[in-house]
Amino acid sequence: MTMKTHVMMHPRAEELLVESALRELTADERAELVGLGVGEAEIAEMDRAAAALAVATAGGAGARSSSGAAGYGDDVPAAVMERLMASVEAVEMRPSVQKMRTLGGVVMPGTVGTVPAAGAGASASSAQIAPIPSLADARAARAHKAEARRRFSPAWLVAAASLVLAAGTWWWARDQVAVGGAGGVVGSPVASLAAARSSLVSAPGTQTIAWTATADRAAKGTTGDVVWSPGQQQGYMRFVGLAANDPASWQYQLWIFDRTRDQAYPVDGGVFDVSSTGEIIVPISAKIHVDDATLFAVTVERPGGVVVSKRERIVVTAKAS
Amino acid sequence: MPAEPAAPALLARVAAGDRAAMRDCLQQYARLVWSIARRFEVGDAEDAVQEIFLEVWKSAARYDAALGTEAVFVATIARRRLIDRRRTRARRPTTEAIEVDGEIAMATAGAGGGPERSAEAQQAARALAKLRPEQQRVLVMAACHGMSHGEIAEETGMPLGTVKAHARRGLLSIRSALLGVPEEERA
Repeated sequence: MTMKTHVMMHPRAEELLVESALRELTADERAELVGLGVGEAEIAEMDRAAAALAVATAGGAGARSSSGAAGYGDDVPAAVMERLMASVEAVEMRPSVQKMRTLGGVVMPGTVGTVPAAGAGASASSAQIAPIPSLADARAARAHKAEARRRFSPAWLVAAASLVLAAGTWWWARDQVAVGGAGGVVGSPVASLAAARSSLVSAPGTQTIAWTATADRAAKGTTGDVVWSPGQQQGYMRFVGLAANDPASWQYQLWIFDRTRDQAYPVDGGVFDVSSTGEIIVPISAKIHVDDATLFAVTVERPGGVVVSKRERIVVTAKAS
Repeated sequence: MPAEPAAPALLARVAAGDRAAMRDCLQQYARLVWSIARRFEVGDAEDAVQEIFLEVWKSAARYDAALGTEAVFVATIARRRLIDRRRTRARRPTTEAIEVDGEIAMATAGAGGGPERSAEAQQAARALAKLRPEQQRVLVMAACHGMSHGEIAEETGMPLGTVKAHARRGLLSIRSALLGVPEEERA
C-alpha cells in the first residue's frame, strides 16, 4: 500500500471517501469527491481497508472444510461447492473471438462445431435446438450456419465487451447447452440430433418419459418426452407446442432431480430457447453427474438461467416411474 | 506485503488462462467469499458467489501484489460486487441474525495470526480490537454486512449521526493501521 496518511484531508472529502467504501456513491458525490482532490488510489485504499476487515471477520480459519474448500471463512455447503466447481468447467478459454460461446446458454458463431436450428425463426441463441429432420433440409442448415456466424445476441455482446483477459477471451457459459451436448454429436448436422436421440432410445437402460404440461401459458398443449440414459449420462428433450421465447427476455432451463442429492438443489440440465412451436429436439447438458434421475422439470428463467431456481414458472415435468 | 503462503501467484495463473488455477482459486477462496456474501445477502448468496468469482477471474490480471494480498484483492471484488447487487435491488433482504459480537471475537482472535489469514487481515483485526465496542459493532455492520447507516441506527438504537461517526472513524482507523500510521496518530 502507499503511505499517504491523509492527515490534512477535508472533512467532507473524508466522509465521502469512507462512504465510497461502504456503498455506491452517486455520480454527484463521486464528482464532489474528485473535486475535493481525492484520487482513485485513495478510494482503492479505503476499499482495501474495508476488504481487509471483511477478511479479518470472515470466521473460522484453518482446516479444509467438508466441501473441500480451504482457507478461512464459513464452510461452503458441499452442493454449492460442487456447483461452483462445475461452473469452472463451463468457462471457456478461447484464444480469439472467432471461437466463443455466449453468456446466455447459447452456442456460438464460428468454427467450433455445432449447428443451429433450421426454421425461419431460429436465431443464434437457439442454436442448440434442432427440429426433427422433416423440418430441416440441408439448405436451411447451411443458411443457419451462416446466420449464426454473423449474429450475436445482446448477452454475447455484453460478454464480448467484458471478458477480455490477458491470455485471450474467456466465455462464461455457466448454464450453457451445447448442441449435441454429451451425446457426441457436436458439430453434426441437424438431422443427427434426431438420429442420436433414436439411437439412445433403444439403448439398454434408457428412460423415456412423457412430459406433463402445467397450466403455465408457455406450456399450453405441449407434448413430447424426455429421453435419458443414466449409463451414458446423456439425453434429449423433445417438445411439440412449447411456446417460443425471446432469449433477451427469458429462457427455458431444465432441472434434473437426483434421488441421491438434496432435492432443494436439482442438477442444472442447461438453458435453451425455442424458436418455433413445431417439434424440436433439445440435447440435455447435465452439469454434473446424475446418479438416479427421478424428475425432469423445465422452468422459465431470466436470460442465461439461474443457479438456483425459484420455480415460479414450471412449464413441463416428467417423473420417472 | 507478505505473499499468501497457501497460494503464491495463484491469480497470475488465473490471469494466464490456467483452468486448474481457477479451480485452485475456488478451493482457496470459496469459504472467504461465501462468508462475505452470506453476510451481505441472506437469500441469494450462491448466485452472488458465482458472480464474484467470475469477476475475480476476469480481473485477475489487475492484481498487484505490491498493493496487498490476494485474499484482500478477492474480498475487495466481493464487497464491490455485493454493494452493487444491493444497490441494484434497492432493498435490504433482512437484518436478522447478525452475530456481530461473535465476529468481533473472531477478529480479535485473528489478530493472533492464524497461519492462513493474510497479514493485512491480521492488522485490520488488531486495529478493530482497539476500537470501542460500539465503534466495532457499527463498523462491522457497515463494512462486513453492508448495512446502511439508517439500518444500523435502527438495529442498534444509536442516533444516525453517531452511527456515521463511528463508521467513519472506525474505517479511517483501519486504513491508517494498514498504512502503518502510528496508533496515536490514527483517526
